[in-house]
Amino acid sequence: MLTVPIEIQILFAGILFLLGLIGLLVRRNMIYMLMSIEIMFNSAGLVFVIAANHWKQPDGQVMFIFILAVTAVEVAIGLALLLQVYHHFKTLDADSVNKLKDYN
Amino acid sequence: MTVTDFLSLAPLIIIAIAPVVIMIVISVTRNYKVVYGFSILSFLTAFASIFFIVPAIPHSIEPLFVIDIYSLFFLGIIIFSALLVTLLSYDYIKQLDGVREEYYIILFTSTLGASLLAVANHFILFFLGIETLSISLYILIAFQRSKDSSIEAGIKYLILASVSSAFLLFGMALIYTALGTMQFNGIVSALGESGQLSPLVISGFAMIMVGIGFKLALVPFHMWTPDVYQGAPAPVTAYIATVSKGAVMAVLIRFFFNIRGFDNRSLLIVISGIAILSMFIGNLLAIRQKNIKRLLAYSSIANMGYLIIILLTGTNKGIQASVFYLISYIITTIGAFGVITLLSTCKYEAEKIEDYKGLFWKRPWVAIVFTLSLLSLAGIPLTAGFVAKFYLIFEGMKAGLMVLIISMIINSVIGLYYYLRVITAMFSPANETELPAISLTGNITLCLITISILILGVYPGWLIDIIMKFVNL
Repeated sequence: MLTVPIEIQILFAGILFLLGLIGLLVRRNMIYMLMSIEIMFNSAGLVFVIAANHWKQPDGQVMFIFILAVTAVEVAIGLALLLQVYHHFKTLDADSVNKLKDYN
Repeated sequence: MTVTDFLSLAPLIIIAIAPVVIMIVISVTRNYKVVYGFSILSFLTAFASIFFIVPAIPHSIEPLFVIDIYSLFFLGIIIFSALLVTLLSYDYIKQLDGVREEYYIILFTSTLGASLLAVANHFILFFLGIETLSISLYILIAFQRSKDSSIEAGIKYLILASVSSAFLLFGMALIYTALGTMQFNGIVSALGESGQLSPLVISGFAMIMVGIGFKLALVPFHMWTPDVYQGAPAPVTAYIATVSKGAVMAVLIRFFFNIRGFDNRSLLIVISGIAILSMFIGNLLAIRQKNIKRLLAYSSIANMGYLIIILLTGTNKGIQASVFYLISYIITTIGAFGVITLLSTCKYEAEKIEDYKGLFWKRPWVAIVFTLSLLSLAGIPLTAGFVAKFYLIFEGMKAGLMVLIISMIINSVIGLYYYLRVITAMFSPANETELPAISLTGNITLCLITISILILGVYPGWLIDIIMKFVNL
């Protein structure tokens, strides 16, 4: 079976992580920002799976299951908070939710 | 797991069971006083259980937990400060309409996350602890959901904290890829074999530093601090400033010393830079603040800058100095935020400096506690803050960190200016504003804090002895 070298696999995960980061910085809608964060988490999870496969250990896979659980909780709370944000500010645009500022 | 394993985790187990019990109680009947009393009792039991497991240590549950005197000490600090925050929360949370009892459930889960960090010896526990802590904090920050500012602070913290967690996680993943181990003490032996640090390991450490720097609010990852401190309910702000920072500091010190980070020159330069920047930016931005919560937020950035100096000494004495500093910082900060909490109602947060005008003539006792806390933060003799700073500077000098120590001294002077501004406001003539009455628990807590600040300031020897005897890594 043809195997891809580990460097390429890590690079792939790194590109995914960067895509998530770029998405977070470029997008102003907070639902998309949450999605970008998910991509970042999952790319980290992917590296754990790759490493576990490389070292022939189960630890990385275990970590990935923990990551899945944690991100699920995070998204649940994130969406609940977004609902509240929409109730209060009538928008999900990150730039408009900006009442807390210096010097006031 | 054996019986000893379970026994040595007793404080964590108590903190994990307590929220479940509260949930069951709430499902039967909602009684604020019962839930409050039970929370205090559980924290006290968890705190007391620490002393019972001392004979069983050092004990490690491979590969995740390590329970030694260092982790017990930090567990004690974390649980005690959570207890103080609970004591202070009574009136503030009672006035909220709608759900109130849930506040204590989430306080327990976040304390559980913080306690996990104190016993962590593995990336899995490190990650789980930090996430349990911050996910609970999202809810706590946005707890007052009728207020715009609370919700805004919550969503800001959620997005920024998750990004920093993603960085932390990716950093861990890179280190695991390079070294094949996730245990803190395994990392150093794996590093030793390979000798030279590979790019994977270096970028992994850098990303972990980003994650930790965010949680500790170090410059340049400090942007969230003032907004979140301002928007969160006052007792929650006290919690973020003390428990969450103390726990992250615990895991940072253990991690850094386990991987022998102080042997790596480039890492040292980066940390020195972060420390100096945190001190200066934190203090300079605090000067112009009119909002006390924001002012204390910037002051906490500066304080964390002072605290990470100690990583660079790389000695046990350095850790001891930082533990003492952390204890005095936590007591003082809870004192300052405690006063803010007790003077605020859920309708109106007493967060502007004008709100404190003439406080001394209206509520002399509260004003004295606040003055004492601010003087201790500034590091004036006869308070805990002075001894802590002195100890830190002393250890820093011995390690030859002259540049850092000099900038710390300059910053102490800058800090004094803005603390004194608040104090002069308190002693100026009074204006006509109504202040809420202060409950018995509030007064007891303030009393406790005043006594500890003064005792640690006048007669710190016994605590230093205890720390020197027990805190070794």
